[in-house]
Amino acid sequence: MPMSRRALAAAAVTALVLPLSACGSSDGGGGTTDASGKVEGDITFETWNLRANFKDYFEGLIADFEKKYPGTHVKWIDQPAEGYADKISADAAGGTLPDVVNVSPDLAVPLAEAGLAMDLDKAAAPYKSEYLPGAWAGHQVPGLPGTYAFPWYLNTGPLFYNKALFKQAGLDADKPPKTYDELFADALQLAQKSGGKVATLANVPTIEDFGRYGSALMNKDGTGFAFNDAKGVELLTKYKQLYDAKALDPQALTATPESTGKKFLTGAVAMNPGSALDLDNFKKQAPSLYKNIGITDQITSTGHANMYVMGLMVNSRTKHAPAAVAFAHYVTDAEHQMSFAKKVAIFPSTAGSLDDPYFTKEDGTDETRVRVAAAKSLKNAVNYTPVLFSEQMKTALRNEVAKALQGKQSPKDALDNAVKACDQLLRQQG
Amino acid sequence: MSASTVSRTPAPRPARPTGRRPAWLRGRRPAGRPDARPAVRVRRQLPTSPWLFAAPGLLVTAAFVLYPFLSTVVNAFTDRRTLVPGRFVGLANFRELLHDDMFWIGLRNSVLYIAGVVPALVILPLLLALLVQKNIPGIAFFRSAFYTPVVASIVVVGLIWVWLLDERGLVNSLLETIGLGRVGFLSDQWLLLISAMTVTVWKGLGYYMIVYLAALANVPRELHEAAAVDGAGAVRRFLTVTVPAVRSTMVLVAALSSVAAFKVFSEVYLMAGPSGGPAGEDTTLVMLVQRTGTGLSGRVGYASAISLVVFVVTVVLMLLVLRADRKEDA
Repeated sequence: MPMSRRALAAAAVTALVLPLSACGSSDGGGGTTDASGKVEGDITFETWNLRANFKDYFEGLIADFEKKYPGTHVKWIDQPAEGYADKISADAAGGTLPDVVNVSPDLAVPLAEAGLAMDLDKAAAPYKSEYLPGAWAGHQVPGLPGTYAFPWYLNTGPLFYNKALFKQAGLDADKPPKTYDELFADALQLAQKSGGKVATLANVPTIEDFGRYGSALMNKDGTGFAFNDAKGVELLTKYKQLYDAKALDPQALTATPESTGKKFLTGAVAMNPGSALDLDNFKKQAPSLYKNIGITDQITSTGHANMYVMGLMVNSRTKHAPAAVAFAHYVTDAEHQMSFAKKVAIFPSTAGSLDDPYFTKEDGTDETRVRVAAAKSLKNAVNYTPVLFSEQMKTALRNEVAKALQGKQSPKDALDNAVKACDQLLRQQG
Repeated sequence: MSASTVSRTPAPRPARPTGRRPAWLRGRRPAGRPDARPAVRVRRQLPTSPWLFAAPGLLVTAAFVLYPFLSTVVNAFTDRRTLVPGRFVGLANFRELLHDDMFWIGLRNSVLYIAGVVPALVILPLLLALLVQKNIPGIAFFRSAFYTPVVASIVVVGLIWVWLLDERGLVNSLLETIGLGRVGFLSDQWLLLISAMTVTVWKGLGYYMIVYLAALANVPRELHEAAAVDGAGAVRRFLTVTVPAVRSTMVLVAALSSVAAFKVFSEVYLMAGPSGGPAGEDTTLVMLVQRTGTGLSGRVGYASAISLVVFVVTVVLMLLVLRADRKEDA
């Protein structure tokens, strides 16, 4: 029977509109926490910009896992660093999230809240003792019981400085600043002696900087932000002085980590935080800088350096939970973290690994000096970035800080506004 | 073969329609010579035929235009987040927009972008087209050179301009050499916006130049000759002959460039950074949509409401341009 035009149009509209009522969002539940059973099946493993440099390592790792557990097959997907969060969010919303996913704590939070991250306190309880307690807690979400990713590698780094620029400003290149007061004093001298052409810092203060300076960041029950306290205001006031004196790069308000790195390479900026990875970069891209490179510890008022934590999350909707959990544990166990750490300047999150001579003995080179110092500082380091601090919150803080530096509002008002905006975003996150 | 041989060959008469399905469609081979091709006749009034022909295009449009559009409209009235299904919240997102400073900053910058970019993109490519229209040796090189930015990747172009305009870039080094001192092209909120506009104009010149070249080819040479005979100089001929002749093309360019300017993203994002310049003061509406609606904690509902505003403003812009054109015609 021929369909009338009206009926055809109605069917087309219905076909278009009906899916809108259920487009691509998780229902916040229905995941598994049971990883018992035979380790078998096909799983997918997603990493964050690792194929370019570590293809052989991961292919070997996967082959060894498949050999150890016959009947398993691991498909490795590597995503570029740019837009990684967007890729994960598209996969999560589309129901195509891989079985094992490389995440940082702030990425794990929304996935855990949406019920997409497996609670490893239940699914992988026997493995918990293998990891440093602080690292295991790194993927916990305030207000949500459980742990939502295996701790993987940790990273921290020193502060690099350009000895030649220090000397030109009449500073002792062998005595880099150790405290914030020394840092601010040296920065002002550098700016003054160079006529404002050489800045010491190239980034506006971030949430980590406020944490390292001693600001509380969040209230005790984790329900609101508190970086507008006296310490926070003090830090921002000091940065304002640096900005006015051009000791903070004029382009700091729009800087990205990549752009600040380039400024340090070209000698426009005298100090830059980094990791042992950067030494190779200096050698290749800026040999004259490498000859003058100075290395000092992160500056902190709390006695705790900042550390970055990476984790491996298991998708709670995986069809092969035993294989996914076994693989995530296999990649992050002490043996494999140690072998990965020997390929690249990262640090294992497994208990006892940092006591290995590889992380405790220097051989006189800058590489080992940085590695040993970083491993030492990691033992009591803190991940200052609150896991609930989303990208939108980072932007809100950055914008308010920029207004204070430009003199459009006082540091106190700027931080009050930032806390208000972040609290509102926190409430909207649920 | 002579012409007479051809003209005397009678043309085959077309088969008369019988109103029945051809034999091969009924499952029987046609009788007659074994090597003869069957006469294929298609019913003209098959009701599904137009739909079948249009189906691929319709499906693509439905999946990639209609569905996302309807989805945006629905989401604009919900509090949906990336991983959390939304609840109907009525006009709450739109009420929030009214009190969101960043929305007004975005709207201001998008409107300023139109004001800065559209006049330049209507006039400069026309002048450029007049320049390269002349047939002089080597002009093909210049035509290609002016068109090159159009085909260049916006990311590459953006990065090159960032290097040029950097505090220690080529432009600032030149300015310093001639004693003018460094200018904060990438650190001052207004200079940043103007720099981004410059990139948009520079990149769009070649495209609109080609559009104008096509229009100029249709301007009768006699009109110019007649005006010249009457004593009109080059400027007068441009104003009284060229401009009226390409006026409808100018309207088209104004409409296209204003919509593109209102939806600008890449140039500002690349030059001002993800935060939208100092304190986010260079954020445009589309940047705000991207920043608000993407990521694992993205506020899809709120971002959809902003998108809907962008859509409405764009439609209004088009209508205004078309109305202005109609008034001119009247």
